[in-house]
Amino acid sequence: MPRETPVRIVDELASRGYNTDREAVTLLADAPDTDAAIERALEAVPDDAVKLSVEDVRDVLETNAGNVDRSRGRSDTHSSSDSGERDPSVSSGDPSLESSHDRGAVPPETEGVESGSGDGNRTRRERDPSEPAIAGDVTGRSTGTGEYEDFVAVFRDRYEKLSGQLRGRVNHRPTSAVESMPGGSEAAIVGMVADIRSTANGHWLIDLEDTTGTFPALVMKDRDMADLVDDLLFDEVIAVEGTLADDGGILFADSIHFPDVPRTFEPSTADRAVSAALISDVHVGSQEFDADAWNRFAEWLHTPEADRVEYLLLAGDMVEGVGIYPDQDEELDIVDIYDQYEAFAEHLKAVPGDMEIVMIPGNHDAVRLAEPQPAFDEELREIMSAHDARITGNPSTVTVEGVDVLMYHGVSLDEVIAELPEDHASYDHPDRAMAQLLKKRHIAPQFGGHTRIAPEERDYLVMEDVPDVFHTGHVHKLGYGSYHNVLTINSACWQQQTSFQESVNIDPDVGYAPIVHLDKLDESDASDFLTIRSFG
Amino acid sequence: MREEDERYFARLEDELDRAMDVAREARERGGDPTTDVEIPVAKDMADRVENILGIDGVAERVRDLEGEMSREEAALALVEDFVEGSVGDYDTKAGKIEGAVRTAVALLTEGVVAAPIEGIDRVEILDNDDGTQFVNVYYAGPIRSAGGTAQALSVLVADYARTLLDIDEYHAREEEIGRYVEEIELYDEDTGLQYSPKDKETRHIAENMPIMLDGEATGDEEVSGYRDLERVDSNSARGGMCLVMAEGIALKAPKIQRYTRQLDDVEWPWLQALIDGTIGEDTDDEPEEADASDADEPDDVEDAPDETEGPPRADPSKKYLRDLIAGRPVFSHPSESGGFRLRYGRARNHGNATAGVHPATMHLVDDFLATGTQIKTERPGKAAGVVPVDTIEGPTVRLANGDVRRIDDPEEAKEVRNGVEKVLDLGEYLVNYGEFVENNHPLAPASYTLEWWIQEFEAAGADVQAMEDSVEIDLDDPTPAQALEWAREYDAPLHPKYTYVYHDVSVEAIDALADAIAEGEIVTGDGAAAEPPAGKEATETATTGDLVLPRSETATRTLESLLVEHTQTDASLIVPTWRPLVETLGFADGLSRTWTIEDLSERARGYDDGDNAIEAVNEIAPFDVRERAPTRIGNRMGRPEKSEERELSPAVHTLFPIGEAGGNQRDVAKAAGHADEMGDAPGEVDLEVGRRRCTDCATETYQARCPDCGGTTETVYVCPDCDREVEPDESGRAECPRCETLASPTRTTTIDVGEVYQQAMESVGEREVAFDVLKGVKGLTSEEKTPEPMEKGVLRAKHDISAFKDGTVRYDMTDLPVTSVRPAELDVTVEQFRELGYEQDIRGDPLVHDDQLVELNVQDVVLSDGAAEHMLKTADFIDDLLESYYGLEPYYELEDRDDLVGELVFGMAPHTSAATVGRVIGFTSAAVGYAHPYFHAAKRRNCDGDEDCVMLLLDGLLNFSVKYLPNQRGGRMDAPLVMSSRIDPAEIDDEAHNIDIVEEYPLELYEATREMAHPEEVDVKIAEDTLGTEDEYTGFAHTHDTSNIALGPDLSAYKTLGSMEDKMDAQLEISRKLRAVDETDVAERIIEYHFLPDLIGNLRAFSRQDVRCLECGEKYRRMPLTGTCRECGGDVNLTVHEGSVNKYIDTATRVAEEFGAREYTKQRLEILDRSIKRVFEDDTSKQTGIGDFM
Repeated sequence: MPRETPVRIVDELASRGYNTDREAVTLLADAPDTDAAIERALEAVPDDAVKLSVEDVRDVLETNAGNVDRSRGRSDTHSSSDSGERDPSVSSGDPSLESSHDRGAVPPETEGVESGSGDGNRTRRERDPSEPAIAGDVTGRSTGTGEYEDFVAVFRDRYEKLSGQLRGRVNHRPTSAVESMPGGSEAAIVGMVADIRSTANGHWLIDLEDTTGTFPALVMKDRDMADLVDDLLFDEVIAVEGTLADDGGILFADSIHFPDVPRTFEPSTADRAVSAALISDVHVGSQEFDADAWNRFAEWLHTPEADRVEYLLLAGDMVEGVGIYPDQDEELDIVDIYDQYEAFAEHLKAVPGDMEIVMIPGNHDAVRLAEPQPAFDEELREIMSAHDARITGNPSTVTVEGVDVLMYHGVSLDEVIAELPEDHASYDHPDRAMAQLLKKRHIAPQFGGHTRIAPEERDYLVMEDVPDVFHTGHVHKLGYGSYHNVLTINSACWQQQTSFQESVNIDPDVGYAPIVHLDKLDESDASDFLTIRSFG
Repeated sequence: MREEDERYFARLEDELDRAMDVAREARERGGDPTTDVEIPVAKDMADRVENILGIDGVAERVRDLEGEMSREEAALALVEDFVEGSVGDYDTKAGKIEGAVRTAVALLTEGVVAAPIEGIDRVEILDNDDGTQFVNVYYAGPIRSAGGTAQALSVLVADYARTLLDIDEYHAREEEIGRYVEEIELYDEDTGLQYSPKDKETRHIAENMPIMLDGEATGDEEVSGYRDLERVDSNSARGGMCLVMAEGIALKAPKIQRYTRQLDDVEWPWLQALIDGTIGEDTDDEPEEADASDADEPDDVEDAPDETEGPPRADPSKKYLRDLIAGRPVFSHPSESGGFRLRYGRARNHGNATAGVHPATMHLVDDFLATGTQIKTERPGKAAGVVPVDTIEGPTVRLANGDVRRIDDPEEAKEVRNGVEKVLDLGEYLVNYGEFVENNHPLAPASYTLEWWIQEFEAAGADVQAMEDSVEIDLDDPTPAQALEWAREYDAPLHPKYTYVYHDVSVEAIDALADAIAEGEIVTGDGAAAEPPAGKEATETATTGDLVLPRSETATRTLESLLVEHTQTDASLIVPTWRPLVETLGFADGLSRTWTIEDLSERARGYDDGDNAIEAVNEIAPFDVRERAPTRIGNRMGRPEKSEERELSPAVHTLFPIGEAGGNQRDVAKAAGHADEMGDAPGEVDLEVGRRRCTDCATETYQARCPDCGGTTETVYVCPDCDREVEPDESGRAECPRCETLASPTRTTTIDVGEVYQQAMESVGEREVAFDVLKGVKGLTSEEKTPEPMEKGVLRAKHDISAFKDGTVRYDMTDLPVTSVRPAELDVTVEQFRELGYEQDIRGDPLVHDDQLVELNVQDVVLSDGAAEHMLKTADFIDDLLESYYGLEPYYELEDRDDLVGELVFGMAPHTSAATVGRVIGFTSAAVGYAHPYFHAAKRRNCDGDEDCVMLLLDGLLNFSVKYLPNQRGGRMDAPLVMSSRIDPAEIDDEAHNIDIVEEYPLELYEATREMAHPEEVDVKIAEDTLGTEDEYTGFAHTHDTSNIALGPDLSAYKTLGSMEDKMDAQLEISRKLRAVDETDVAERIIEYHFLPDLIGNLRAFSRQDVRCLECGEKYRRMPLTGTCRECGGDVNLTVHEGSVNKYIDTATRVAEEFGAREYTKQRLEILDRSIKRVFEDDTSKQTGIGDFM
């Protein structure tokens, strides 16, 4: 949704016979529904007033808490108030993010593009990106052959890695040892969640599994931590501390621990003024691909304003693909898969040649769907050879200018959103789902549902190290936040609403480019390190 | 009712009474769960309704109302009774509504199907947001069996009750409306709906529906948009609700409106917009093309917008090709030249949803069609069961040597089959008029056939009666000279035998053919032409010679399209029967052309864009030439015919639980010797069984009879929380008064299976050598968990039969109708027929010969050979059971299958709860169950490939018990909760009333087909016309005979071919051979609808699969971290392996390549192939570049 321009707001007020000041305009522009805010503000002003003051506007906006939303800049996403959930605009960030948002998102057609295509080329500074480093990429290392043992290996690896992160915090005992402990003793288990069920009385039973067996932990419904059970997914690894029942056999939980990101986490930063554009879900080949938005974005990258944007990270779904859903051919603009990639490559050529590009595949791309997904094969790389882009697997950790960006396409978000309570993860707030994944330190914990797993010798989906930025796509909604100082960004998309999305009530955010200022990630005010640009 | 009908029913009922007496005596003596027969006899529908519902007083009231009004009106009238409380004993408003709704559904389904008890879970009163109350009807999956009309009316009934009880309307919340829309779409995609309402239709219904429709989740797929709604307790699709809304309300809106108009208190004005398709007033998009109703309207698109004039034709519809499956061939693409030719008529083995096909055609489609094979068809219905009719025309083929001939003899078809290069035409396809009535389908233009011609001939002044009586004249099969003479002399259309399909060739082609004929010559006897083709009239050839044309591509193709029989040499085409052809094409004597294409009128040349030469030919020919085969009907194979015993998997001999002790095969002998650990007593197994107590000596047991004193035992309910005994209340509910939890009628106890086994064998005097294996069940699923006496299982095992979940022995057969039979074709003698009470043939002559045609009694059935054998075994089992278990005299004492004739059986269809008594009168080699259409309709079956079962009468009476039925949704479906002893034609599925029962169709029918008139506009007598008269059980005349009701192959090739790949290869092979089939499209569809979904599905399943322990069978959602089974330490393995994922990829790729599939399809396969390899191949083990060698 394009931001409201101050000019339009001023015009609107003037036409109703009001003056106003700059700050009030900014506040109005920030309101999720500017028109409604103007209406309410005007109703609120004294009848004899000729000027709309900041106070007037603020009163109006604050009396309607629903319009001020999301967490404060650096705080945990979870602590955010739940007000404003009805606001359909995804891009309404926290107030501090919002302000940068506003500045950065002046409609390109009125400002950015024109100035860029005007004198921009003459004054442009050469970009000088360094080559990104890639880690955690399965490409070329896939050893699984789909045997039972491969599956066991991958889950054991997950358990080893994540339990390692929890062991220091609790006094872990293997489940087999807990079984023989006397009733009433204190015990702690680090286990993979094998099953969660509710008892007849509404308490929760969690089966914790380790390499020696399973043991049930009971979470009483009236304990505070009972709420945490709602957030649990099968097959994530947690630690539970508590007391054994008198006859053994069950652990009464006193506390639950997640691998989590330390609250003290400090992100790394670039040591020069440099930015990266984080986008995804281009969907070239679809009838709904928004080429105009893409072209505006590419043109903007040529303007001086975009000089510092030296990196372009693409989180999957370059093309719409073939056979993704039944009768897809009827909605394809380009039916041939190779032609789709050719067309994508053409669109990529519009991006300045001096940028460094990193791409991972998504579920619409012509690679295996099971995760981790290896990168595009030779044939497709050949087609997309423009720019000599870095082509890597999904997920991968990409280090640019010293900043670790975890890139993941995002299929597991569907599952997290389906399983978790709406205020913890929803399509309107994909960043909250991402925060959950960070907390679990795993990209796709739950096995057996939406997410497909290809067994490998190790679990590529574990977040062994904490990334500085977590970048996903897939759900076609813009969302960003900060979780324990890790910047979470779900890029929107470049595809207008499809008939399928319409039928399931998803209204995509089209044509947004979040720009991350890599040198400012340690700033406390998000507006200093993130600018959302809109080209839709 | 006629006297003979009365006698017939009396005979059946006497026999039934005799069996009942035996069964009652036996049940009193034995250890069955109850001491009486558990299938009550229902005299009429009212009885059935009351029996199924278990609400007293309903039957009486239904009988009162029935005489005065229609069944639908009676259902509405009963609502008032329920509300007043004069029927049913309900205290709450919700209860009253529930009773009324269930009764309405039972009434509208004739008290036969399980929908009223299984399809409606409950009715609730809930709160609207404004504080008022509304009614919520909670449906379940089995509501499906009620059908659209009953489903829709159930809502209307609920609403009527609502208004009478003064409850407010339901006000749907916005998210609930959105949910309905999304959910119905999801269900349609997942399960499929007969009618897919458009989003705005669903929205419209949801917004206006005064009752909330809710229901049980029936699938695993969840909605993604409107989740976790407060008043909807599942995120999965609620199947029952979706059916009621889509196939009920949306599809049957006009029908409901008829009833809302009669009710003052109920107004559903919004139905109008639904019916008119004017929802929301955005009327610019008019209802579009291909939906279910398109066939209902005569096609005006054809002649209106397009200026060129063309023939009347039904619109092609390719709906039947959807979801094509590998191994099930397409016989013709939609309305394609060379496909089946529509002929009107009803053969004696023809009725609801059947299609008559020539047996030679069955053989020439490589035996894929057999008697009873289901086909999905283009029109008039959706599917039909194939019946063999040899009085229609067979297929026309081109042999490898270029000969073109029509094959009317199944034997000849088998002989030439290997030499057939192309099937140019599939022959005729017989559909009865009533089928069009039933499907409300406009009459499609009729083929020009003998029946039609003869009436035109008579109308033209010929004395047909005299000609029929003359021995010299064969009206069916005249010589060319005779036919031409008649056409000229009487100015009548040319006889169909010599009328070729001119409408399938272009004007140009006719012109070119005329040129070729002009260049040709007539060669007689020993001339250039070689031997005449076998079987052709020698006289004809001898007197007039053969027409020999220069051979050319176009002339060959034209003759083939016209279906003119000919042979060929390298240089020439030889047409033996040429005179009618050349005369039709305007040649006078001497093969000189008398016309040029310019002589033809503008209209004739431009008719159907010049693609149809019929008008041209009529200008050229000296007589009228009719369209020979204007309607071609596309179809494909649906499912194969069926005739096999019903077996649970694994098979079950005794409904006695043995837990895991019997292994996967549930072997009782193994369980008898099983011990969990060393030192455990062998044969002792912990089992959950009923808790019962002897009413005489208070012994605790799980058996229905006290093992100590032989007294009857009663279920004891115990509260699971406080262990106190609870007395069940009147409704059978046992709730603990202290804990308010439901008391349980079962307990887990240790049973010595070994001892039970030994005692059972001892008691019936059998030893282990008497049978291979005795299989029990793992556990009991019934509410009270009462096991069956194991003695019955021992005897079943001995006779090699197995039991269904309700204790009965069943045999399944595809249903087919037949109204007249010959004793000979049923492998019985005329004497046996006379003993059964048949005295006359259909002409009224005394019955003396085995091959006389006799009209079938409505409850007489023909068993397949397999069924007969199975019933014989069952009869032996029953006799054994009576003697050695119940201590009574044997009942059947059958020596061979001849003795089965006259015995009674139950017919019983899935999804229903009422059995119908039938009598065996003979046997057929076809793998189907032939019976009177009324018999099938009484079970609520039509014959479009449906199958159902027969049970031996006494087996049902002795061994069926409600107590065995699973205590879960659908558990009471497919169980004989009640039986109908005699069929009342007024109380059966009214589909059967649409069968036409005449000997010939009137000329007006054929003429009306040219107008594509509505079937109701033509007057043909149908069964409905005799309802309620003396003759309601008789007079089912037919227009076409067939020499035997079991012609053609006994089994479809689909069943005789082995692997899926063999079937598919055969399917593709036949698709190449049939002129009416586009093999690329077939290949494309197989890949699209079968292989790709399979590949994608399995690949997906692989990456999110369960695993299972190989030792103990324990399942895990995810691979255990221990690697081995947590229960038993055994090896665990995958449930989906590489082999099941990639099994079709090579085949699919080969087929795509070989049949030129689209690039899109090939790419999808390519990507999938790569995706599969990427999962199953180790990247590091394959060398990828020169670097690997350095």
